[in-house]
Amino acid sequence: MIPTLEIKALYKNFGGLEALKDISFNIGRGEIIGLIGPNGAGKTTLFNCVAGIEKPTAGQIILTHGDRTLSIGGKKPEAVTGLGIARTFQNIRLFDNLTVIDNVKIGRHCRTRSVFFGAVIRSKFQQAEEKAISESAYQFLEFVGLKGRGQEIARSMAYGDQRRLEIARALATEPQLLMLDEPAAGMNPQESRDLMDLIRRIRDNGITVLLIEHDMKVVMGVCERVVVINHGEWLAEGLPQDVQNNPKVIEAYLGTGAANAA
Amino acid sequence: MGKLELQKLTRGAKIRIGLLIFALILPFLPFVTDYLLHIAILVLLYMILALGLNIVPGFNGLLDLGYVGFYGIGAYTSGLLTYHFGLSYWVIIPLAFMNGAIWGILLGAPTLRLTGDYFAIVTFGFSELVVLFLTNEIWLTRGPLGLPGIDVVSIDLTLFGGPKWEFIGELPYYYLAIVMVLITVFVMYRIQDSRLGRAWFAIRDDEVAAVSCGINLLAYKVIAFAISAAFGAVGGSFFARWMTFLSPDMFKFWESFLILCMIVLGGMGNIWGVMIGAVILVSLSEVLRELLPLLGLPADVRFLAFGLIMVLMMRFRPAGMLPIAAVAAQMRAGRTKRRKSKPAMGIKK
Repeated sequence: MIPTLEIKALYKNFGGLEALKDISFNIGRGEIIGLIGPNGAGKTTLFNCVAGIEKPTAGQIILTHGDRTLSIGGKKPEAVTGLGIARTFQNIRLFDNLTVIDNVKIGRHCRTRSVFFGAVIRSKFQQAEEKAISESAYQFLEFVGLKGRGQEIARSMAYGDQRRLEIARALATEPQLLMLDEPAAGMNPQESRDLMDLIRRIRDNGITVLLIEHDMKVVMGVCERVVVINHGEWLAEGLPQDVQNNPKVIEAYLGTGAANAA
Repeated sequence: MGKLELQKLTRGAKIRIGLLIFALILPFLPFVTDYLLHIAILVLLYMILALGLNIVPGFNGLLDLGYVGFYGIGAYTSGLLTYHFGLSYWVIIPLAFMNGAIWGILLGAPTLRLTGDYFAIVTFGFSELVVLFLTNEIWLTRGPLGLPGIDVVSIDLTLFGGPKWEFIGELPYYYLAIVMVLITVFVMYRIQDSRLGRAWFAIRDDEVAAVSCGINLLAYKVIAFAISAAFGAVGGSFFARWMTFLSPDMFKFWESFLILCMIVLGGMGNIWGVMIGAVILVSLSEVLRELLPLLGLPADVRFLAFGLIMVLMMRFRPAGMLPIAAVAAQMRAGRTKRRKSKPAMGIKK
């Protein structure tokens, strides 16, 4: 397995609270990996460390890009995006006052260059760039199934569509690794099935997917490997079915009695 | 042919062209006196200032209470360069633009990491510092005595064997101001519809999401602050050559507040709204200046009226008279209930 991302002995403390303790696992290229664990297990903290929003207390996060390896632990979030890691948020974070297409266009920010003078004089370079931004933004919109809805205001969209838009925006940054934070939260079964289909299509385009998810149907349905963490510690890792039947995992979710009963 | 093209124009474009024609023929209308023309120039000047300031609170969602500092810097840049070196206005404009931008970067780079109110306080302090500097550094600015006798704007073609034409009276300044407003609006529209503008709107709507799209917050805020300051300085340089006199008390905090009021009243982030805000508040200020003494009140009571307008706007129409498209759409849909964590549009806390 060629790793896209290696997490090595990662620690994160908030004051006296150890949110992450000695977490290590690899994510292979083109995998769909699920990160699960009970509430407060440190899943989102782990995401934030990888995305650069939180600085890890100790440990390494290594991104492999072709034959280059880059240590991204402690890099700034905008730099991490530039290196090829995109994410969505647990509570959707869109640019509410902007149109759908502008939201996706902003995702193209880190792959484009024009600033003030280009914009004012509309240089040839800027015009070509704007055209490319627009074309690719519409492609990403179509890819997530929001074709023809570019002119709507992001705020006014239905919940499920906002999730899709957020994914389109993340894809627009051309990531190697896409991290989805509870993408199926609040979705009905049909929307969840569409989402699983979308995640598979993203992977088929060569993008590695790491997702946090509580909806076990989605985890079992789409993930090829699952990593379980509990109280900030690595608990188990393996195929979805194996993890589901692992007594330690059941105990973490349901308590000791349940594990014995199983 | 001409008719056909006129029919193709949208309603908005027709209104724009109509307003522009009105502005161009305004000085020749029978009821327009020199005093009215003076007010019209003031309106145009404040349009430039309000459009410049709008970048910071309107496009980036940051509260800037010190805009007048850059206005003052621009005015004194223009005044002093004319006074000491006799530079032409057309040379001074780009210099003032750059000087404004430099001060915007010098102030913004270390302070734009601050959030919300703290940043506002820093900008407020900065504008007070500018006034103190202008008052006390007498060797440079002549302090409270003011800087009189600044040359008027002129178009000098003597180098090419042409005539020299000096701007005397209000009329030439009126047209000069119109040209400057048009350029400012043009620049604002182009920025608004570009990668830079989108990055700013992203910062305004959600900083965390903006960062995750690869936007360097500090860099883009500093760019915003610098461009905003540059337009303030350009407004100031016009003011200096128009008034031909400068004194430090022209750049008191009141001016910042007045410009901010224009933006809030007109519609934060909306180019047209901001310009309408300038028209309303400048004319209202002049009307009240005339009216209040008749009622036996001091003319300064008009500032109270501005405060009252702000309170009423915040209560009944917080997005302004002409809100940005998204907020307007939401208001049309009648959804007044907003998510608690995020106000529909406004300054970040």
